[in-house]
Amino acid sequence: MSVALSRRQAFKVMIGLGGVAVSTVLPKTLSAEEHPAHPVAPPDAIGMLYDSTICTGCKACMPACNEANGLAADSVLSGGIWDMPTGLNAQTKNIIELYQDPHSDEFAFVKKQCMHCLDPACVTGCPFGSLEKSDWGAVTWNSSLCIGCRYCEVACPFEVPQFEWESWNPKIVKCEFCYDQRLKKDLEPACTAACPTGAVIFGKRADLLAKAKDRITNAPGKYYEDRVYGEHEAGGTQVLYLSSVSFQKIGLPKLGTTSLGHYATKVTSLIYKWLSGPILMAGVLGFFIRRNWNRHELERLEHEKETGFPDQL
Amino acid sequence: MKGQQLTADKRGTTLINHWQYGVPVTRGPVLTPVLLVLMGIAAIGLGLCAVRFFSPLGPFSSMNSAYAWGIWKTFNVMTLTALGSGPLALGLAAWVFNRQKLHVVMRTALVSGFLFYATGLCALGFDIGRPWNFYSAILPWRWNSESAMLEISICMPLYCFIFLSFEILPLFLERLYYTGNEKSRAFLRHVSPVIRKAYPFAIIGAYVIPLMHQSSLGGLLLLAGTKINPIWQSPVMPLLYLLAAGLCGFAFTIFLLLVVCLRYARVLDAGVLTELANLLSGVCFAFLAVRLVDLVVRGQLHTAFALNGMSWVFLLETSLILAPAIALRFRRVRETPRSLLNMAALACVGGTAYRFIPTSIAYMPPHSTRYFPSAPELLIAAGWISLGTVAFVFAVNYFAVLPGEATAWDHTFRPFGWPHRATPSPLVPAITVESGI
Repeated sequence: MSVALSRRQAFKVMIGLGGVAVSTVLPKTLSAEEHPAHPVAPPDAIGMLYDSTICTGCKACMPACNEANGLAADSVLSGGIWDMPTGLNAQTKNIIELYQDPHSDEFAFVKKQCMHCLDPACVTGCPFGSLEKSDWGAVTWNSSLCIGCRYCEVACPFEVPQFEWESWNPKIVKCEFCYDQRLKKDLEPACTAACPTGAVIFGKRADLLAKAKDRITNAPGKYYEDRVYGEHEAGGTQVLYLSSVSFQKIGLPKLGTTSLGHYATKVTSLIYKWLSGPILMAGVLGFFIRRNWNRHELERLEHEKETGFPDQL
Repeated sequence: MKGQQLTADKRGTTLINHWQYGVPVTRGPVLTPVLLVLMGIAAIGLGLCAVRFFSPLGPFSSMNSAYAWGIWKTFNVMTLTALGSGPLALGLAAWVFNRQKLHVVMRTALVSGFLFYATGLCALGFDIGRPWNFYSAILPWRWNSESAMLEISICMPLYCFIFLSFEILPLFLERLYYTGNEKSRAFLRHVSPVIRKAYPFAIIGAYVIPLMHQSSLGGLLLLAGTKINPIWQSPVMPLLYLLAAGLCGFAFTIFLLLVVCLRYARVLDAGVLTELANLLSGVCFAFLAVRLVDLVVRGQLHTAFALNGMSWVFLLETSLILAPAIALRFRRVRETPRSLLNMAALACVGGTAYRFIPTSIAYMPPHSTRYFPSAPELLIAAGWISLGTVAFVFAVNYFAVLPGEATAWDHTFRPFGWPHRATPSPLVPAITVESGI
């Protein structure tokens, strides 16, 4: 049987078949969300557990970090004598800070470094994939892809990535879990290896989370809010914190449990899926522009005939 | 004179309808003292940019890791491209919603929009830290498709230097047609039908792409999360940024048309300006409606009206948009050039305030330090803005940008450097036999 199809009809059939194919494929791909609101840690995810109640503030982890990462000591404040950073900066990937209540004798140490989020905002925002989630969940930076836009600094809720403002060839300085330096050689990160008291320990994230919860159940009332900071914060982080004083007091921001990547991309990922939104928009606009263009052309020719004035685009 | 005008062109049916055609400014000096001052600022800015080329960002700007984006990004790009969205706003109204009246002012919008985008992108080029890696933009396998920054870093140059440039190409070709030799005229007669064929398809890109990146500018700030005050931080920020771009686009085009027509003693066209004023008022109301619904849905209405510091900023910004929205509903305001100018200026300030506040005053990182742009930063930002202004003045003087009466066209384009005739010359319509681009 041969049915003569006009070209227009053939196009219609093709569009119809395409539509059917898209409507069967689309729901499946949409269900596999790239940024779930509450990401689940992969089984091989490593982590760090820092217990502020154990830390004595000896700062052994700081020179160890500097040595492993080849960072020069930040000796501006100490007059060029020893490493004395005031916070994470272009020469400091890891720091022990002291919180002291001015009115009581309450104090606590806190270790700051990259939190290695399960769904990092910096990785979501990085335009050319310079920051990425590497093996075991370490968030690493690749110098050959970074354009220096500093979106990671704006995106990171913990203000971890640091830009080398003083360098002509600036790098993003952040804790990379000693990925290249030690993890690849089957060594634990320099800071956990150096810690003499066991305040910061290295292991699988799941194990560390269980260990932290054990500590909380064994010593009820000792830990702030009886919970682990980093279990759910910003969708969960691979660095976990236990503290006896408020997390906000020791400088860990109060964050929701939804990952920032989910919040930022839940709508745009639908619109930009296979560029379907822009293509649809181009189709709609194109239809109207074409129609109005034809009207405009007719009017133009008429005017030109009448007045001799050519039209300007 | 008047009778001659009416016989020469019947397109203007009434006497109020003065804008028929893009007409270059042919009288008065080009190099005024104000322009020389602007050129001086631009020269200082460009000189500092040359220094920045050999200097790291640190000693140059007062940006720091808490306030990682300085005014080059937040003001020159994220804020001023809203004012440069005239081509988008007017183009959509003219080509998509068939507001035929607006075609005559498209060139003014296009030139100003192009200059805002181009100068903003140049400033951005000196802001990024590792520009030598930007070649990744043409390697799609390196793209992180979920990043709003990627969308902007690719779409903005693509829009400005390809689609927007194509949209204003007839402006340059037309000048070449009237000033070039026979060979170039023959060439233009050959290519202009091709351009006319491609035009309606090319401008689809010129409207889809800015819709994408103007909304992505708001999408950028979603990842900043709690760093931005909850009055501004909202999931509809991409939509609001887009609406603010449309708002600023209309407002700035009205403002610019009125200011330059005043400067060059052009007559005004009530029909076109009323149309633009109506559209501006509509976009203002749409923006405010989305803003209100968003605040109610997120339950932040009490924060917005708490009458504390940030709430006052919000109220000021909103009233700057609400005032023109309501005022332009009244015919007397719309049709009085002075009040129209004032209202357009208010809307410009309100719209740019909405675009600038989330990255400046309302941007409060937890480890808060201070950021105020350093002198070189300010001078470079001012330098690029001055350069854009100077370029606009030259464009108005040497190309058929500003709308005017068709009979005012006298085709005596002068090469650069020659002073304009100081004395007015009799207007001779020489166009009647020419067939332009």
